[in-house]
Amino acid sequence: MPFISKIERQLDYGSFNSSHPIVIDNGASYFRIGWAGENEPRVIFRNIVQRPRHKTTGETVTVVGDHNPVLLKYFDCTRSGPRSAFESNVVYQFEIMEYILDFGFDRLGADQSQIDHPILITECACNPVQSRGKMAELLFESYGVPSVAFGVDAAFSYKYNQQLGICNDTGLAITSGFTTSHVIPFINGEPVYEACCRTNVGGYHVTDYLKQLLSLKYPHHISKLTWERVEELKMEHCYIAADYASEVQLFQRGDKEAEEKTRCWQLPWSPSPVEEPPSEEEIARKAALKEKQSQRLREMAEAKRSSKINELENELKGLEFLLEELKDIEEEDEIVLFLASRGYASKREVESAFAKVTQSLRKAKGEQVPSEEKVDISAAEKYYLIDIPDDELSAEQLKEKRRQVFLKSTTEARQRAKQRRLEEELEKEKEKKLEEQKRMENPERYLEQLRAKYKELSEKLEQRKRLKTNGNNANGNNNVSGGVGRGERLNAAQRERMRLLTTAAFDRGKGEDTFGQRDEDWQLYKLMSRDNDDDDDDKPDHDETELARISSRLREIDPTFFPGSESGASASETPRFRPLTKEDFQIILGVERFRCPEVLFNPNFIGIDQSGLDEMVGVSLRRLPSWVQGLEDKMTSSILVTGGSCLYAGVAERLEAGIRMIRPCGTPIKVVRATDPIMDAWRGASVYAAAMQFPEQTFSRTDYYEKGEDWLRRYKFKYTI
Amino acid sequence: MEREVLEAELVLPTHMKFKKIQMYDKYPKGQARGRHWKHLKQIIQAENYENYPPHLPTYVNIETPPSMHPGKKICDITGFEAPYFDPRTKLRYANTEVFKTIRSLPNDHVQRYLALRNAAVVLR
Repeated sequence: MPFISKIERQLDYGSFNSSHPIVIDNGASYFRIGWAGENEPRVIFRNIVQRPRHKTTGETVTVVGDHNPVLLKYFDCTRSGPRSAFESNVVYQFEIMEYILDFGFDRLGADQSQIDHPILITECACNPVQSRGKMAELLFESYGVPSVAFGVDAAFSYKYNQQLGICNDTGLAITSGFTTSHVIPFINGEPVYEACCRTNVGGYHVTDYLKQLLSLKYPHHISKLTWERVEELKMEHCYIAADYASEVQLFQRGDKEAEEKTRCWQLPWSPSPVEEPPSEEEIARKAALKEKQSQRLREMAEAKRSSKINELENELKGLEFLLEELKDIEEEDEIVLFLASRGYASKREVESAFAKVTQSLRKAKGEQVPSEEKVDISAAEKYYLIDIPDDELSAEQLKEKRRQVFLKSTTEARQRAKQRRLEEELEKEKEKKLEEQKRMENPERYLEQLRAKYKELSEKLEQRKRLKTNGNNANGNNNVSGGVGRGERLNAAQRERMRLLTTAAFDRGKGEDTFGQRDEDWQLYKLMSRDNDDDDDDKPDHDETELARISSRLREIDPTFFPGSESGASASETPRFRPLTKEDFQIILGVERFRCPEVLFNPNFIGIDQSGLDEMVGVSLRRLPSWVQGLEDKMTSSILVTGGSCLYAGVAERLEAGIRMIRPCGTPIKVVRATDPIMDAWRGASVYAAAMQFPEQTFSRTDYYEKGEDWLRRYKFKYTI
Repeated sequence: MEREVLEAELVLPTHMKFKKIQMYDKYPKGQARGRHWKHLKQIIQAENYENYPPHLPTYVNIETPPSMHPGKKICDITGFEAPYFDPRTKLRYANTEVFKTIRSLPNDHVQRYLALRNAAVVLR
C-alpha cells in the first residue's frame, strides 16, 4: 500500500525555533506537512473535506482527510460527499483549503498564537496568479506566517533524484499526478516552463474509468464499488501493457496466458439455502390429511343427497296420494274445487308435477335419465305443425310453426356438428396412431423430423412477427426518435402507410397539390391508422396451433427440449429463476487491468483530446530552445518518471518504447523511475528548505503587500541554490 | 458526541489557537454568502492570458496539443480493438457477440458508455 495516512498529533512543535521552515506538499490527492531537513513528512492525509451532520445533535461538523469509516456511522454523510479544494490541479476553493491547513497545522502540533515559521508550499506548474495570491493571503492573514515560498512538486522531485545521482542536471521529468500529467524539461537543474506541457489526465481519471466500467459491467454490485475500493483495486492490479493492441488480442483469443492475467475479486457470498425435497413421511402425512378432508366433503355431499332424496320421496308420496284421491272423485266441478284447495289448476298439472318429481328423484338417486329416447319419441309430436301447410293454420299456429321449424333446424345442426366432431376426433386418433407407429419404427428419425418441423414453424412465425413489428421491441428502446434507423426495413404497417402517402401525393394532378380539397381525401388517414392486426387471416392461427401441438408433443417425448430456447427473449428471462451462485458475486478484472491505466497514454479513451505521456515528451522537446546543440539527446538520456500514477508496472518500458518511436534512430534513451515517486517531491522540498539560502527565495508579508499581484506573477523560484 | 469520535479527534475544532482569524469570524454562521470562489474556468478568464506575450508560459499555453496519431478505436464494452460502429447506439464494438449485447443494453447504459469517452448526448 503506497498511500498511508499519518494523522497522529505531533508533540515536538515547540522544540523547533521560529526560523525552521515548515514544508507542505499540497497535492491534489494527498496533503503532506513536515519539518524542513527531515526525511519523512510528519502528517499525511487525503486532501479532502467532508461536512456531515451529526445524527443525534444535528450540528454540521467538519471532517478533514480520510478517517476510520466506522466512526462516520454517527454522521449523516448523505447530504455532502467528500470535497476537494482542487479543480484540476489548481486550488480554487480556499474555504476548504483553510480547513485542510487548519487540520494540518493542528496535527503538526501548532499551539502558539500564530504559525511563526517560514513555509514552503508546492503548487502546480504555471499556477494562475489568482490562486497563488489567495494562498499567500490565506497564509499571511489567517495564520500569521512570516514568509512563504512556492515551488513546483515535480521540480523538487527531480532535484531530489538528481542529488541522489539518479538523473542528470539536464533532463526530463515526467510526472503523473492525481488530475494532471506533466512533462517538464530541466536545463542545468532549472525547470524550463516554456517547454513543459500538461495533459489533464491522472490517477483520478484511471480510477474513475475503472469504477465506471466495473459498475456498468456489474450493475448489481455498485454498492460494493466505492471509490476507495476501486482505488485499491487499481493500485493492486492495474498495469501498463507493453503494447495495448497485442495485449488485448491475447484476451480476445482467450489464451491461457490471458486467463492467468485475469484477476477475480470474490465478494462475500453465502449459498442460498437449498430447498430439500419433502420426505416420505411428510408426503404421506400430507396425503392423509388431504384424504381426510375429501372424506369429510364426500360425507357432507352424501348427507345432502340423502336429505334431498328424502324430500323428493315425501313430495312424490303426497302427489301419489293426491292422484289416488282424485280417482275417487267423479264430479268435474269437485275435482276443480279440490285441486284449487291444494293449489293446482288442473289434473294435468298434478301429473306433470308428478313426472317432474319422479325424474328429479331418479336423478338424485343417480339413475340414468331416459331423456334421449324421450326426445326421439317426442320428435314427431314436438314438431307436429311442420308438415301441415300454412294456409290450414291460424295466425297463432303459424307463429308456433315458425318456432318449431327454427327449433328443429337448430337441433339438427347441433347433431350434425356433434357428428362432425366425432369424426374429427376419430381422424385425429388415427393420425396419432400413425404417428406413434412411425415413432415406434424409428424414434430418432421421428424426433429429428419433429424438431426440424418445430424449428421451421417457429422461425416462420418469428419472421412474420418481426415483419409486423419490425423487431423494435426486441432490441430495446434505443430508438429514441421512434423512427426507423437507417438500413432498417419498414414493417408492414409502415410500408402501407408509405404507399398511401405517396399515392396521395403523386396520384392525381402532377405538380399541384390538391390534397384536402375534397372530403374523401381525409378518409386516407382512417386507412392509415387502421390497426394492422385485424387483417390477419386464419392461416397464422393454423400455424400457431400446429406449433403448439408440436411443442407439446416434443415436450412429451424429448427430455432435452426447451420451447423457444433459441429466441433471445426467453433467454433473458431465464436468469430470473436461476439461483444465485458464487460466480454471480465475482468481479472479474481482465482487460480492465491495463485498459484503465492506458488512458495515460491514450487520453482519447476517455474523450480527452490531448497527447499521452509518450507523445508529450516529443511535444516538450519540440518546444525547447533550438540553439543548444545536442540538447534533445541530453534530455532523453535522463528521463525521470515520478508521481503517483507512474507506480504501475511497465510504465518505464512503455515510455521508452513510445519515446523511441518519436525520436530518430540511435537516440540515447534512458528512462528511470524515481526512488519513491510519491514522497520524493516532499523530500526534495524538505532538503531545499533546509538549505542556508532558502530564506532568499521566500517572500514576506510586507513584500506581498508592497509589491502587489503583478510582482507575484513574476515571482520565480530558483531551484539551484 | 460519542466518546470514540472524540477520542479519534475526528471532528475539526472550530477554534484554532494558532489562527489570527478564526473560521467562524471569516464565514459567520447563518449568513447566506453565495458563491465566494471562482471556478478554474473563471480564474483563467480573469487572468487575461491573451494579453501576455506569447513566449511566456501560462497555465493555458502549457497544455498539450491533440495527439498527432489517429485515436485508437476500442470497443466500448470489452476494450478490444473495434473495427465496427453501430449507427443506432453510436457505440463501437468488436464482434457479433458484443453487438448482441449492445443491442440489448438499456438506453441509459448506452449513454453512460458513451459518456465514458465524452460522446454522450447531453440534454440541456
